[in-house]
This record gives sequence, structure tokens and C-alpha cells, in this order.
Amino acid sequence: MRTCRGAYLGGALLLVGTNLCGLAIPWLLKLAIEELQHPASGRFTPGQYGAMIAAAAVGQGIIRVFSRTTLLNAGRRIEYLLREDLYGKLLTLDRTYFSNWRTGDILSRLANDLTNVRMLLGFGVLSVLNTFIVYTAALILLTRISPFLTVCAIAPFPLMIFIVKKLSASMFKTSKRMQEALSRLTTRVEENVSAAAVVKAYCREDGEIETFRQACDGYSDASMAVAKIRGFMLPIMASTGAFGTLIILFVGGAQVVSGELTLGGFVAFNGYLAMLVWPTIMLGWILNLVQRGAASMARLGEILNASAELVEPTDPVDPGEIRGEVEFRNLTFSYGATEMLRGITLKIPAGSRVGIVGVVGSGKSTLVRMIPRLFPVPDGTVFVDGVDLNRMSLEKIRAAVGFVPQEGFLFSRSIAENVAYGKPGAGREEIERAVRIAGLAGDVARFPQGLETLVGERGVTLSGGQRQRVSIARALLKEPSILVLDDPLSAVDADTEEEILSALSGYYGERTVLIVSHRLSPLRGCDQIIVLEQGAIVEQGSHEELLELGGRYAAIHKEEQLKAEIERL
Amino acid sequence: MHFGGIYEDEIVGKMYDRRLMGRFFPYLLPYRRLIAAALVLLPFVAAAKLVQPWILKLAIDDHITKGVMAGLPSLAALFLGVILAESLLMFAQVYLLQYVGQKVMYDIRVQLFSHIQRLSARFFDRTPVGSLVSRLTSDIEVLGEMFAAGIVTVVGDVLVLAGIVGIMLFMNVKLSLVTFSVLPFLIWTAFAFRKWMRAAFRQVRARQSNLSSFLTESIGGMAVVQLFNRERDEAREFRRLNTEYMESNLPVITWDAALYAVVETLSSVAVALIIWYGGGEIVRGTLSFGALVAFIQYIERFFSPIRDLSAKYSVMQGAMASLERIFTLLDNQALEPALLAPAATGAGKEKGVSCQTAPDEAGSSICFNDIWFAYSEDAFVLKDFSLQMRRGEKVALVGETGGGKTTVTRLLSRLYDVNRGSITVDGADIREIPLKTLRKRIGVVLQDPYLFSGTVAYNISLGDPEALKRVEKAAAVVGADRLIRELPNGFEEEVRERGVNFSAGERQLISFARAVAFDPDILVLDEATASVDTASERLIQRGLEGLMHGRTTLVVAHRLSTIRDADRIVVIHHGEKMEEGTHAELMDAKGVYYRLYQLQFKD
Ligand SMILES: Nc1ncnc2c1ncn2[C@@H]1O[C@H](COP(=O)(O)OP(=O)(O)OP(=O)(O)O)[C@@H](O)[C@H]1O
Ligand SMILES: Nc1ncnc2c1ncn2[C@@H]1O[C@H](COP(=O)(O)OP(=O)(O)OP(=O)(O)O)[C@@H](O)[C@H]1O
Ligand SMILES: [Mg+2]
Ligand SMILES: [Mg+2]
Repeated sequence: MRTCRGAYLGGALLLVGTNLCGLAIPWLLKLAIEELQHPASGRFTPGQYGAMIAAAAVGQGIIRVFSRTTLLNAGRRIEYLLREDLYGKLLTLDRTYFSNWRTGDILSRLANDLTNVRMLLGFGVLSVLNTFIVYTAALILLTRISPFLTVCAIAPFPLMIFIVKKLSASMFKTSKRMQEALSRLTTRVEENVSAAAVVKAYCREDGEIETFRQACDGYSDASMAVAKIRGFMLPIMASTGAFGTLIILFVGGAQVVSGELTLGGFVAFNGYLAMLVWPTIMLGWILNLVQRGAASMARLGEILNASAELVEPTDPVDPGEIRGEVEFRNLTFSYGATEMLRGITLKIPAGSRVGIVGVVGSGKSTLVRMIPRLFPVPDGTVFVDGVDLNRMSLEKIRAAVGFVPQEGFLFSRSIAENVAYGKPGAGREEIERAVRIAGLAGDVARFPQGLETLVGERGVTLSGGQRQRVSIARALLKEPSILVLDDPLSAVDADTEEEILSALSGYYGERTVLIVSHRLSPLRGCDQIIVLEQGAIVEQGSHEELLELGGRYAAIHKEEQLKAEIERL
Repeated sequence: MHFGGIYEDEIVGKMYDRRLMGRFFPYLLPYRRLIAAALVLLPFVAAAKLVQPWILKLAIDDHITKGVMAGLPSLAALFLGVILAESLLMFAQVYLLQYVGQKVMYDIRVQLFSHIQRLSARFFDRTPVGSLVSRLTSDIEVLGEMFAAGIVTVVGDVLVLAGIVGIMLFMNVKLSLVTFSVLPFLIWTAFAFRKWMRAAFRQVRARQSNLSSFLTESIGGMAVVQLFNRERDEAREFRRLNTEYMESNLPVITWDAALYAVVETLSSVAVALIIWYGGGEIVRGTLSFGALVAFIQYIERFFSPIRDLSAKYSVMQGAMASLERIFTLLDNQALEPALLAPAATGAGKEKGVSCQTAPDEAGSSICFNDIWFAYSEDAFVLKDFSLQMRRGEKVALVGETGGGKTTVTRLLSRLYDVNRGSITVDGADIREIPLKTLRKRIGVVLQDPYLFSGTVAYNISLGDPEALKRVEKAAAVVGADRLIRELPNGFEEEVRERGVNFSAGERQLISFARAVAFDPDILVLDEATASVDTASERLIQRGLEGLMHGRTTLVVAHRLSTIRDADRIVVIHHGEKMEEGTHAELMDAKGVYYRLYQLQFKD
């Protein structure tokens, strides 16, 4: 708002300008008519008056264009800045925040609520200024005729303001309800379209249409509630004006009768009062705009004022080049009420390799997510190179970690752009190398457009295994000192797996590597393996040690071997 | 970095206004009574407006001038009554029209949504989610603005205008013609502006859609953005789209302001013309002074509806640009193959040949007969692929990633149609089986599990009442019941968007349970246990043993342990069938399968 103060000021002045030109026209007209009435006294010919009126009209038109564009553009400009702030804010928010919000809701706020705010700051401000100018002009003219009558005429206004204030509160509430309904509707659409494959596979089209109908119903109802209140303002505003006229009729009438006021004055007074009727009704419309804008602004505020639980340290420690030593000290973590990680203590020397296994939901992904600090970790529990993670800047640690999420997300760009995502401007060779290590080279070679193949939203036009490997290549290209692979080969066949694993072993070098896996083959060559169960480490040691221990790890191993044996028979 | 991404929404095809309005009109028809009612109110509102000055005149002439205060209160009451009546009528009118507007928007929204449900998988492959969201929300909201601006009362404005034109002509033909001489210019402006305005609005709508697509994707991939420290780049890209959007709005504002100013200026120019011309007439004595003054007042009245119309005009241009987008999507014929006309699909050209089914066997038999398939042009993903599955048989598809396994399952559900060859189920070409019937028989566990926001029970049943009854049993079959019962709210536990509050394996189990709950006679498991640990997998296999009996099952798996009991194993390589046989046969053959197997169990 502040940034556009100049624009608003300029716009207001221009608006005064147009109105002055506008007022000049009836005045010239009056002179012209008087001139025609008494041609004798003529200063100008009718033709000259006509030219003057035309000139004033053109002047008014030109200034009008500037006043409107200045003000409305200012509204657009603020919308632009707000949208940028909102997106900037979203970029700083953490996982916890996004898991509590629906995509459709955020979309709707950034589109529809922002529109309401813009309407308020563009048309709203324009109309307020216009109304204000008209009111001031009319009031000046009115007081010149009779100050007393003027006071009488505006007497009903306080009552109106009182009623409108009452209405405003409910206007705010219903507007908010309407915007919420629109958010729900948007969410339905977003989810439905994203899940098109499931909807089709399970023939849920009719069910989806039904729930969409309900969302539309909710929105329609809320909109009508708003329309009702808005419509209700109309009679209130109109009767306020009428009451004023009524009072004038009596008080002014009596004054005319008693000779205090001339009849001409009375008629003129009524004429000017009529000038106020339309702006008054307009005022109702503006109030509606204001309330709607305020309700929407409040909803945008929920994003702008959201505070991420995950915060940058105030005095970040710079550990220099990160070597990749990772240490968990009695780490306990919970997403909500229940603890998902319990008392994890683990030291991973720089350059060593750790395998993590465990049943579904045992907390493997949760554990590895702590390293790039995707979720807030308690102080003094996670250390990288001996520095508490909470005291390291996010950018620093994230630059050092190459993370392959369990479910990769690809952008709707080309394969090359996706692979080079962590290192914009990476050379062709680097990209090709990463692609080769990730075992994707063969697939890319088969695509007609090679690395330039567009992958569709979330990578829909790739196969499951291809998507997974793009996401591996993306992490590799970063040349991170800590590489985190969360079940990275779940969607590839044994052949490709073998190929990738052998290429990776050449790549690992000095890097610290954490691999989560359900199958044991990717864990070959790990210095230590930990077994998680219900968020706690229940076994820990090298492959041989764990086999000797004869616990859960040995059981998984036996199972895999057993299957093989059975088949061999 | 350049973003040739798919969120570059094209500016959709132009349509002629007449066609556009012609298509829009039928949406109003169901509400013609309400619209008629609103129009009927128009003359009453006008009358109430006209009566007010007349009452004032009475009050002044009969009472105030004469000093008779006696009848004044009743006149005052009348005045008040008229004003209240006017505003109530206006309220009724506004409300009616808003109501119609909401209804029409509702109808269009639901129609558009239903249409989207019928569009093909191909369409969704290339259309960003955000652009569809923006059509179903913002584009339709713009239509709402059109109703709020009172587009229906345009009729009223036009009638008033016609009336005033008539009176003016009746009063003085010459002066009228002088006044109307500014009209051609006005009409020319309106027509010229229409083209520019519409082009500007089209630009606005397309760019709004781009913003929405970008945002949708960005929110979905926020974790990746942050993990890779790409916040600044994404912000820059967003700024680019945001700037484009803002800039596309500026011409709209300028055209709108210009139109407003032109109308305003022309109305004063008309007055100036009359003064100039009428003044001459008066001097020559051919025009009375009173007539001139009266005429000037009518010019005011004449331009007032024109001003209203011009304000509605630009709103309408915006709405038309939105309508173009809406209708273009409605016209999109990228329908599901089954919804196209039979001729277009070539159904029945090639009949299933090699499928014989003994009638007493349970389940369904499935045949893929020499199918060829390409997602785009002739980059064939499946080449001459054939596969016969007897009723109740369990067949496994294995092979290199990207080999076309998922594609085979998609073709069976008819998400895409084969280019050549045919697929039959129980001897009937699937192109001749109603799509719903076909899909209801097939339960698919998709390779990428998708969970909806809702509850666990909802995610397993998807709201289907039949499936709802089997939720717990289905969860037990896949061994997810223990896990679900441990949740604070059990089956009623909240699932957030895309299931983010569940682990990948849990999501997969729930989506597996979904397929079981729908009790299909053909089961398609696409990597259904890829993210599940060995122990859970064993549980699932045990649970499925009973279930799969009598069901034809197609299993895709990389983990060969999961398919050891398959009746037959098919190896796909680059879209071609390489090997086929039982586990033992393939091991003996010492081919691709043998090697894969050795690799997996070496150690
Ligand atoms: N929607 C699509 N549009 C265009 N091409 C696609 C699409 N889906 C898959 N492809 C391409 O078709 C080929 C086969 O893909 P498919 O998903 O059938 O492989 P898959 O055997 O299931 O592999 P995976 O084991 O990795 O899941 C791949 O090269 C892939 O890039
Ligand atoms: N964002 C989240 N919010 C709330 N709960 C979560 C969230 N992510 C995971 N959980 C819960 O935390 C537990 C551990 O999840 P995690 O993803 O770490 O499991 P996992 O060991 O990786 O399992 P999988 O083998 O299936 O990948 C699960 O029970 C899951 O439901
Ligand atoms: Mg996991
Ligand atoms: Mg697949």
C-alpha cells in the first residue's frame, strides 16, 4: 500500500481535475443559455460556447483516462506485490505447514481472495474518492444556500452509519464463508483432476460429480447470503437519502412559508440534495467491497502471518566445507502426538555407508528426513560435522545433502532440467554422467527427444522406474557430501538395480551415504546397518554381525534366501 | 534456464460473438421465468423513480408556495412509501438476477466438471492440473461478474434508450439528428475497442491460468524446491509469470477507462453541438428557447443508459473471453476412447481369435492379440504383444523398467486404446464392452498409490456403499488392519491430501486394500508391494491366496519372490515379449528371467 501512495495521491488529484472539468460544463451551459435568453448582452456567440463546452469535455475525457488508469493500475500493482509476497512466504514454509493445508485452498486464496483485495484497492478506492469529492462539493454548495438545512439533511446519516456498521460485521462473516466455500470447491477440483487415474480405474466419476455438486451448492448458498446482505443495503441507503429530503420538505417548506428562505433557494437545495442520492447508494456498494476485501485480506493474512516451525538460526555457525559426519544423539521426534522416533543415538563417520531397514511405518523415512532438516528437530539431537543442525543455515546443510525422496517429484520440464535441478547451468557432460550412473542412459537414448523429453506434470509420461532414476540422477548431479537414498530402487528390476549399484559404488567415494531399503541387495557394502522398529534402533552392526546376532535382520535375510532356495529346488 | 514447461496455456481459439451468445443463451432458458420477473419489475422501478420529482413538485406548488401545510404530511408519507417501494423493487430485482447468475454458474460448472470426467487419460497426461482448476473457478467467476453487473437488464437499458430516441425525434427531428451525429463515432469506438479488449482479456485469462498451473506444481514440489535450494529461482520464475499477468491487465484497464471517457466526452460534445446549432436556429427564430432547454435535458437522459451500457460492455468482453475458454474445453473431444463414436475406434475390426474359455471356469479370460501401442505418434511402446490368460490364472509380467508393463495394464482398463490388435475379455472385444462394466470388473492397484484427503475408510471404499461394507475385511486381507487399528482413530483416522501423513508403504497397503474392497473378478497388481517390507509382503501373500482363487490376476513385479507362485511368467523387454512359461521352464531356458533371478538372489 505504502509503495503506491504516490499513485493514489496522483490519482486523487486527477480525479479532482476531471470533476472540475465536469462541473465546468453545466456552468458553461448555464452561461450559454443565459446568453441565448438575452442575446443583447452577448460576450460570446453560441458557437463559441459550444466550442468551450466541447473543449472542457475533451479535457475531462483525457484527465478521466489518466485518473482511472492511475488508480486502477495502482490496485493491480499492489495485487502483484501481494502475490509475490505470498509466494515468497510459501517458499519459506515447512512440511508441517503444507501437510495441514490443501493445495486447492492455497490456490483459491492466491487467485480469488487476491481478486477481492484488488477490487477494494482499485475500484474501491476510486469509488471512495469519487464519492468523497461529490459529497464535499455538494455539501459546500448546500451550506452556501442554508447551513441549517444542511445539518437537517444530513441528520439521518448517523443512524444509517449505525445500521450499516451492524450489517458490516455480518457482511464480513458471510463474505468469509463464501470465500471458504470457494476454497473447498477449488480443492475438490484440484484433487479430482490430480487423481484422474484413480477416479477412472474405480469408476468414481458419478460419485465425484456428486461431491462436486455439493461443493457448488455450498458456494452458491454462501454467495446468495452475500447477495442478500448486499441487496439489503440498497433500501437502507435509499431511505437515508429519502429521509433527508423529507426533513427538508418540512423544515425547508416551513422556512419558505415564513419567508426565511426563497423559493429558488429551496428548489436549488433540493436539486443539490438529489445529487447525493446516487453516491449514497454507491456507498453501500463500496461498503460491501470493503468488507469483502477485508475478509479476503484476513484469509491472505493467514498465509502471510503463518510462521514456519522450521526457522533459520539467528547466529548460524559456518562449519566450512561439510565432510559429512552425521550424528544423532538421543533424538526423539513426533509429527503430532505420538512419537515416531524414540531415543535414536547413532554416529555415522564421514565417508561411511549406513543401511537402514525396518517394517512399513517404522520411521525410516522420518529418520533420514531429519538430516536435510525437512522437519524441525529438537536442539542438541542432530549434528553434522559436530555442529548442531539447528545452528547451521538451511541453505548450507541442504546444499551438502543429496536427497532422493521415497516418492520422487518431477517438474513438468525436460529430463535435463529435472536432472540439473540442483545445479542450474550444469554442463551437458555432468548431466549425462549423472544420468549414466542412475542407469537412465538407455531409456534416454530410446526417447526421440533424448534429454530434452518433457516429462509431464509430476513426471506422468515416464514409467515408475524412470521417474525414480531421474530423481536419483538429480541428487547425484549435486555432488553432495551426504547422500540420502530413501528406498531408491524399489521400482527398478534386478538387472538395472545391479547396474546402478555398481555405478554408484564408484560414485560414493568420500561421501557419507544413507540408504533405506526393504530389500537387502542395495545394502551390500554398507559399513553398518541399523534396524528400526517403532521408531527405535533395535539392531545395529555390520552385515556379518547382524547375521550372527540372529535377530530381525537375519530373519529378513533368511527369508530372502529361503525363497531363493525353494525356487531352486 | 528456460522453462518450456507445460504451464504455458495457449490463448484459445476465437469464436464469433453471435455463436458464443447463441451457446450461452440456452443456459438462461431454464430460468426464463425468473428473468422475466426481473424484467417485469423494470418499469415499476422506473415509475417509482419518475414519481418522486413529481411528488416534490406537488409539495412545492400546492403547499409550500401557497403556505398550506395541511396536506403535506400525507404527501411526505407517499414520498417515503415510493422511495421504499423503489428500493425494495430494486432489491428484488438484484436478488433475482444474482440468483439466476448463481444458478447458471452452477450449471456450467457442473457441466464442465462432468465433461472433464469424461476426458481421456491422454488429455490428463498433457494438461496441467492448475489450468483446469482455473477454468472451473476463476473463468466461471468472471461470468458471475457479468451477472452482478446486471447484464440481464441490458434489455431494460435498450428499451429506455429507444423510448428516449422516440421522444427526441418527436420533439425535434433536426436537433435529434444533430445529437445522434455523435453516435456513429461511439459505435465505431465500441466495435474497435471490442477487438482490442477481447484480445487483452484473452491474454489475461491465459496468463491467469499459467500462474495457477505454476502455483499448483510449485506447491506440490515445495519439498524438492527447498531441498535443492531453488527458492530464489522459483521466485524469479513466479515473478516472471506474475509480471506477465499484471502487464496483461494494464491494457484492459486502459481500454475500459478510454471507453468510459469517450462516452462521457461525447455526451458533452453532443450538448455543445446543440448549443452551437440550436443557438443559430434561435437567432434565426426557427427554434423556441424553451424547446432548446428541454432538449438539452433529454440529451442527459439519452446518455445515461448509454453510459450504463458501456460499463457493462467491458465486463461483458471479459466474460466472453472466459466463455470462449469454457466452451473450448467443453468442445474438447479428447474423450475416453469408449465415449467416442464406435466408428472412430475401429472396434470390431479385429475379433479376438485365440481365446477359448471353458464355461465352467470361474473368473474371466483375457487375451491380448498382437497389440501395438504408442503413446505418441509411432514411438511404439508395445510391439506385437500377445498374451492369453485363462480364467482364474495368475500371470506375472516382469522385465526391465520402462519396458511397458504398466502400459499393458492401462490398455486392459482401456485408459488408452491399442493402435493395432485387440484385447478381449471373455471373448468380447473390450471396445464393445461398456467402459464402466469393464472397469468395474477390474481391480487395479496402481503403481503410484494416490490417497484422497478424507478418512482411511473413505480411501479404501472411495465412498462406494458396497465397498464400504468390505473395508475391514479388505484391510485384513492385505495385512493393513493391525496398522490401521493402531491409529488413534482407526479407520476414521484423517488422511491428509495425497496421504502425506502416512508412510509410503502404508499408502501402498491402503491402496491395495482399495482394490480388494471392490471385489473385482480381475485383479491387476502393478508393483503393489514395491514399498513394503518382506514380512508384510508375506502377510499379503497369505491373505491373497484365498482371495485370488477364481480371480484372473495380472501381477507386475520386480521382486521375483512375489511372483514365484504365478501360473505363468511373461518377460517384456522394450515392449516385446521375450519369454513366456512357468518359473521352472524359464529357469531351464537360462534366458533373461534366469539372469534376473540369479542377480536377485546372488549373495
Ligand atoms: N503417459 C505416457 N505418455 C507417454 N509415454 C509414456 C507414458 N507412460 C509411459 N510412457 C513411456 O512408455 C514406456 C513404458 O512405460 P511403462 O510405464 O509401461 O513401463 P513399465 O514397464 O511399467 O516400467 P516400470 O517398471 O519402470 O514401472 C516408457 O518408456 C515410458 O517413458
Ligand atoms: N508428515 C507426517 N505427519 C504425520 N505422521 C506422519 C508423517 N509422515 C509419516 N508419518 C507417520 O510416521 C510413521 C513413520 O513414517 P515413515 O514414513 O518414517 O515410515 P517408513 O519407515 O519410511 O515406512 P515405509 O517403509 O512405508 O516407507 C508412520 O506411521 C506414518 O504414518
Ligand atoms: Mg519410508
Ligand atoms: Mg510400471
